[in-house]
Amino acid sequence: MKAILHVIEYDFRNFFRYRWFIVGLIAMNLADLFISAVVFTQMASANLVANYFRFFAPGLAVVGLFASAFMIGREINMEVRREIHHYMLSLPMTRTELAIGRVVAGGLRGMLYMTPLLITNFIVLRFPTPPQLLLILLTLLLLAIGISGVSISIAVSTTSFEKFVTARGVVYYLLFFCSSVFYPLSIIQVLTTKGLGPLVTFAQINPLTNGSDMIRSFLLDSPDCVFSPLMLLNVAIFSGIFALLAIFAYSKILQRH
Amino acid sequence: MAVGLKKLLLVVERDLRMFIQYKFLLIMRGIWFVSQVALFGLVVNRMVQESAAAVGINYFQYYVAGVTIITLYSTAMFIGYDIFEEAEHGVFEYLLTLPVSRRELVLGRSIGGGLRSFIYVGPLLVVVLFILGVSNPLYLLVALASMFLFAFGVSGMSITIAVVMKSGDKYDILIGVLDALIVRLSTTMYPVVYMQRATPAFAAIANFNPLTYVSDLFRWGTGVEGTLQFSPLTGVLALFTFFFAFTFVGVVFYERRLEGGSWQ
Repeated sequence: MKAILHVIEYDFRNFFRYRWFIVGLIAMNLADLFISAVVFTQMASANLVANYFRFFAPGLAVVGLFASAFMIGREINMEVRREIHHYMLSLPMTRTELAIGRVVAGGLRGMLYMTPLLITNFIVLRFPTPPQLLLILLTLLLLAIGISGVSISIAVSTTSFEKFVTARGVVYYLLFFCSSVFYPLSIIQVLTTKGLGPLVTFAQINPLTNGSDMIRSFLLDSPDCVFSPLMLLNVAIFSGIFALLAIFAYSKILQRH
Repeated sequence: MAVGLKKLLLVVERDLRMFIQYKFLLIMRGIWFVSQVALFGLVVNRMVQESAAAVGINYFQYYVAGVTIITLYSTAMFIGYDIFEEAEHGVFEYLLTLPVSRRELVLGRSIGGGLRSFIYVGPLLVVVLFILGVSNPLYLLVALASMFLFAFGVSGMSITIAVVMKSGDKYDILIGVLDALIVRLSTTMYPVVYMQRATPAFAAIANFNPLTYVSDLFRWGTGVEGTLQFSPLTGVLALFTFFFAFTFVGVVFYERRLEGGSWQ
């Protein structure tokens, strides 16, 4: 446990070294909310989305969580390319401890970054009750650990930074566009008429859909967004699968090198 | 003069060959384009089609044209990553040993950066023109010429930023922030009339954004938008100014950076 905590501390120190990256991410998130969402609020049909700005705000917290939890992969990709993992292997801890520490650290960093965005949601929409808050935080933590797992799995599977950046983009667009982060699930049904039915199914089981809809169910007071325990279960399964995959892949890549 | 031009073409050819090597990246960019059109475009079209129709716009076509311009912009920006890779792997030293003057080298890179993005967007453009149609071939030619100017200008801008920044990470972040602002504060994704309704400041900024000029000219060229909020000549002149300013600045900055190993 102590070894894992040391790894988490190491990754948190690294996180604050990338302050420019964090500033960049914040700027991008704010641009999404205060430029794109504000303009789309003027354009969206009121019978489909009553107020797009309010609808998108919880989605933004998930966008921020995703982007910051994904940063751990960027660092691991750089370490693998620059062979810093030789140093990591010399540390007095097992490979599994190292891998667990990195996956959990990635998730916790995502939570830390997302906190101001979540508070913005509470201010703009409404404050949840303590049990609702606990459920939101638990779900988002699981989501962040799962995203960190996806990121690490990609980082150790790509040999160059460009490939990592591009793969990150593809994962980002697939997960976000096929989810209710940007638009309600009811509107995504339009894809069925275009022969893209499987993507609608993917959107329904997408953990980002469940994460953002759970926040909406507590903060929007809308009959379209109702909490279901399946949302939590869905995110927990996603998190479990990708955390284990990342631990396995990270341990293997260290061994191979 | 002819020898200088031949050397310049050799530099351009090298950048084109390098670009083709990024097969993986090019395929991924194509997937990105398709997901933008087939997922985001279709779904958002359903969400906004009523209000878009009220101002005489088919939003799906509007968005497809905008995504084409965003793709052109992002691939033209890619030359900056090459410059960082070369500095990191010691290729700058090799380039300086070549019998090519620094000015030829720098100008060739700027042209190569713009040309390769246009070549990349070419096949996508054919698909997009199939979707959008062409109402007036002459208008389309003007639009394509303005897209050329835009691509070279963005390539120059990318080189300028890359040579000013000392770290590849900072470059990546700055490009991300710039992308977030320059794309969102333009008419690539939504008409200026809605930006005006949201906040007049957005519309005011968009009116000076080169992405606004090139995307509106492209829509005008394909017939997606019947009228422009500016004259086509004003749009082309604005893009020429953008192209000229950044190609010149990029060349001067890159040339200076090559002196005395300041890239290290």
